[in-house]
Amino acid sequence: MGSSTDLPLHFDTSWATLLSKRKGECMDLPQGTLDLLILKAVAIEPQHGWAIAERIHQISNTALRVNQGSLYPALHRLERRGWIKASWDVSDNNRRAKYYELTAKGRRQLEEQTDAWRSLTAAINLLLDHN
Amino acid sequence: MFEDLRFRGRALFRRRAVERELSDELRFHLERQIERYIASGLSRDEARRRAGVEFGGVEQVAEQCRDARGLALIDTTVQDLRYGFRTMRRSPMFSITAVATVALATAAIATVGCLADTLLWRHLRVEHPEEIVSVSALRGRRTDGTVSYPDYVTFRNRTTTVGALAAHYSTAPLFVSVGGNALEVNGAVVSANYFSLFGMQPALGRFFQPEEDRVPDRDRVAVLGYDFWQKAFAAEPAAVGSAIGINGAAFTVIGVARPDPVSLTPLPVNVYIPTMMLRVGYRWCDDSLAVGCTVLGMTGRLAPGRSTADAAAEFAAIMPPAWVNAPVGQNRGVQVRSPRGMSEDDQEPRLVATLAAVAVVLLVVCCANVAGLLGAQSLARRAEFAIRVSLGAAPLRIVRQVMTESLLLACAGGVGGVLLSRMFIAALARMFFSVDDEGHSLYYDFSQSNGTVLVTLIAAVVAGTVFSIMPALRSVRNPAASKTASARWSTARWLLAAQAAVAVAMLATAALLAFSARTVLEGRNYESAHVALMRVRPRLLKYTPDRAQRFQHDAIEQLRAVPSVQSVSMVGIGTVLGGASTQAGLPGWPSTQRLTVGYNEVGPAYFATLRTPVLSGREFDDRDTVRSPPVAVVGEALAARLWPDGGALGSTVVVGDGARQVVGVVGDVSMKSRDEPADLWVFTPFWQNPKQIDSRIAIRTAGDPAALLPELARAVHRIDANVPIAETITLPVRLSGLTRPVRVGATFIGYAAALAMLLTAVGLYGALAFAVSRRTKEIGIRVALGAPRRGVLASVVNEGLRVILAGAAAGVGLAVVAARTVSHLLYGAAGADWLFYAAAVSVVAAVGLGASLVPACRAAAIDPVVALRQE
Repeated sequence: MGSSTDLPLHFDTSWATLLSKRKGECMDLPQGTLDLLILKAVAIEPQHGWAIAERIHQISNTALRVNQGSLYPALHRLERRGWIKASWDVSDNNRRAKYYELTAKGRRQLEEQTDAWRSLTAAINLLLDHN
Repeated sequence: MFEDLRFRGRALFRRRAVERELSDELRFHLERQIERYIASGLSRDEARRRAGVEFGGVEQVAEQCRDARGLALIDTTVQDLRYGFRTMRRSPMFSITAVATVALATAAIATVGCLADTLLWRHLRVEHPEEIVSVSALRGRRTDGTVSYPDYVTFRNRTTTVGALAAHYSTAPLFVSVGGNALEVNGAVVSANYFSLFGMQPALGRFFQPEEDRVPDRDRVAVLGYDFWQKAFAAEPAAVGSAIGINGAAFTVIGVARPDPVSLTPLPVNVYIPTMMLRVGYRWCDDSLAVGCTVLGMTGRLAPGRSTADAAAEFAAIMPPAWVNAPVGQNRGVQVRSPRGMSEDDQEPRLVATLAAVAVVLLVVCCANVAGLLGAQSLARRAEFAIRVSLGAAPLRIVRQVMTESLLLACAGGVGGVLLSRMFIAALARMFFSVDDEGHSLYYDFSQSNGTVLVTLIAAVVAGTVFSIMPALRSVRNPAASKTASARWSTARWLLAAQAAVAVAMLATAALLAFSARTVLEGRNYESAHVALMRVRPRLLKYTPDRAQRFQHDAIEQLRAVPSVQSVSMVGIGTVLGGASTQAGLPGWPSTQRLTVGYNEVGPAYFATLRTPVLSGREFDDRDTVRSPPVAVVGEALAARLWPDGGALGSTVVVGDGARQVVGVVGDVSMKSRDEPADLWVFTPFWQNPKQIDSRIAIRTAGDPAALLPELARAVHRIDANVPIAETITLPVRLSGLTRPVRVGATFIGYAAALAMLLTAVGLYGALAFAVSRRTKEIGIRVALGAPRRGVLASVVNEGLRVILAGAAAGVGLAVVAARTVSHLLYGAAGADWLFYAAAVSVVAAVGLGASLVPACRAAAIDPVVALRQE
């Protein structure tokens, strides 16, 4: 993961397609941003996978839809890195579900990545707005 | 980092829990999504369908999650191994065949590796063996590199690169008498620093002190080998300090070496005496410590910081006084090298190389065979792979799994091979490396080195990779469309033909070698069965020639009187059936024109005793004495060379410096391989050489000569109980010692040939059975249309035999090449070789016929009604 020092965002090639392309109204996510979105989604309170996808979908005003095929591998990878941790709990519909919550390490990551994303988009906006 | 490891570890060791959690998690997601769709008004079925489509393959996602957990490598390997074991258990016949095949083939690799290691590569078993160097001086025509004692002293005193230089004569036949019992044992005459050079420790007493090796003939001290001490002194500690006789001289035992001492030759040392007692230990020189008596080998340890090259440069410049005025070409240089291996036979390096080539070819054949088996196996598992791929398993994952299974088989085979090779090596050691051609017991350290084991396992893994890679790739390349049976058969055909070719070549070579060994053993122009040998050596007791000849005469008389002895004779030079070489020619020939011929001095009735035919004239008898005219007997080939038009009898031949009259022509006895020029032979009477002292006696007996050996020795000892008798063995034992490389080669290549043949049969059977099972319907139609069952049978057998015969034909070509590479091991004329090729082809064809008959019968027995209903 040494490339993260060159790029402002964490870059991971193992999952290329983040969004279901089936639906025309959905945008493709730039590579590497899924981690950021997941971290953000679990930052407020522990969530299970389905709810994380829902939250991203809703908060983005249904513009973003996370493909489950990418979501779960990403969750497991983040768990391995120690950015989020998992625990089993009873869900709102009375079933056992796996809840993910942000760790201290994950929170630092979220801050760093948010800053990086902001400065990147700001820079790109500057460039695009330039006449 | 620690967290990461803990995470991976949990997934690895608590695999079941982790898997269950993963599937629970994904199922929860799916159900939640279904509920959502139902809530939004879809029917339950529609909701389920949409959620499923949206989610994609559950198995695929789960797989990616496992990958994401970073366990892919260890985890899937463990999984593959588990799966592999299950697959092996599910088809035990296939697994056993594959493992056994690899084991039998790698056992050959391990066996050759062990032979090569022991005979050619192994260092001496001492501390820092890389510092040990052996120094050989090449002078004149000698090749053993030995020097005289004064030469050794020069080297020892002048060298600075070698810290300790020891002199040794390690194959000294010593007659040791302990408490009245005399026995011939192998001993060593060594300088006092010999023991410390190799770091040897005494088990009892002490070794020689430098002072005891300073004055000739003064210190009669001896050190016993551990085994000899056990045998001759019943492990009695009082042995130290006791008196023993060595070659007639009285010695005092001062110590006993520890068991398993460092040995420079395969002949274990029973008794050590100091170099200052060389005159007792070596009696073929008038003064064994004088300049002309070159009998000592030199071994040393490099001084700190010095290399072998340093020593080589230094020794080349050291010139002992005796060498300074030598004729040009006499001093051929001094070699310094690291002593490696125990081989004393020039043929052995080449033999080991040949056997290594055979073992590699055998491994390739085994790969071809297992690849064929695996091909059929993976065809049968095609449905399984197709299902797994359509369920979302990555093709690479399946390739990896198939290869893991094969490597598992290969590794099991490799381990089996290593274990099996221990048995093979033990058998080889017992059969061929336990006794030398003079009847002395030998010791070779054939223990398996780690390197050999490693090489064997690597060979197994390489074989496993080679034989699995094609079937593995094929299993996923197009799992839906199965390759047609005929296409498979055509690939199999090439492999089988190649296997048949190798089998024929190996079989023919093994047969040639076995026959060659038998040729030597049974002999052309001699009969070895019923001949006992012994060597009487009055020289060791310092007999004068006069007294020795009287003794020899009486000994022959005594031996003749032993019941069941038919005839007795002896040779004065070298061995029975052997001899030395000399120059011979016709009177008046200049010395440059004279021929180098084999030569021996033989007693009366020598040729009758060996059953060598006397073609014309007579052989020597009691008429031929020192006082009678000098006579000679020539071999057939020499007679034809010197007198091409006949008339050898009565002519004069010059042997050495003397003219002799030819009184007989005898059949030629050749001990030469095809690589060497045939021998020309000339014989002179034993009794016409008044200087003869020792002899080797040949005794033809009516019954088993081995049983008579003790009685023969007693008969000789009746004249003088102290005269040393050695090499009391039978002629066949001696000849088998001489033909060791041939017999090792025949045994090993015979094993390889049998295995190659078995593999070909198994492969052919498998391929044909498979082809028949694929063609069941077609055959059924044919039979229904009236094809005779015999025709069906014949067509299958034909198919099999065509392949085998085509391969066998190519195999003959291969066999001719193979025979050429082992021609140095072949004795006897090449004229009848085609018989062996024909026999090998017939045997392989017969095996092929047998292997095709079973599937052919099955094909012929196909019931059209059943066959047609199949699809």
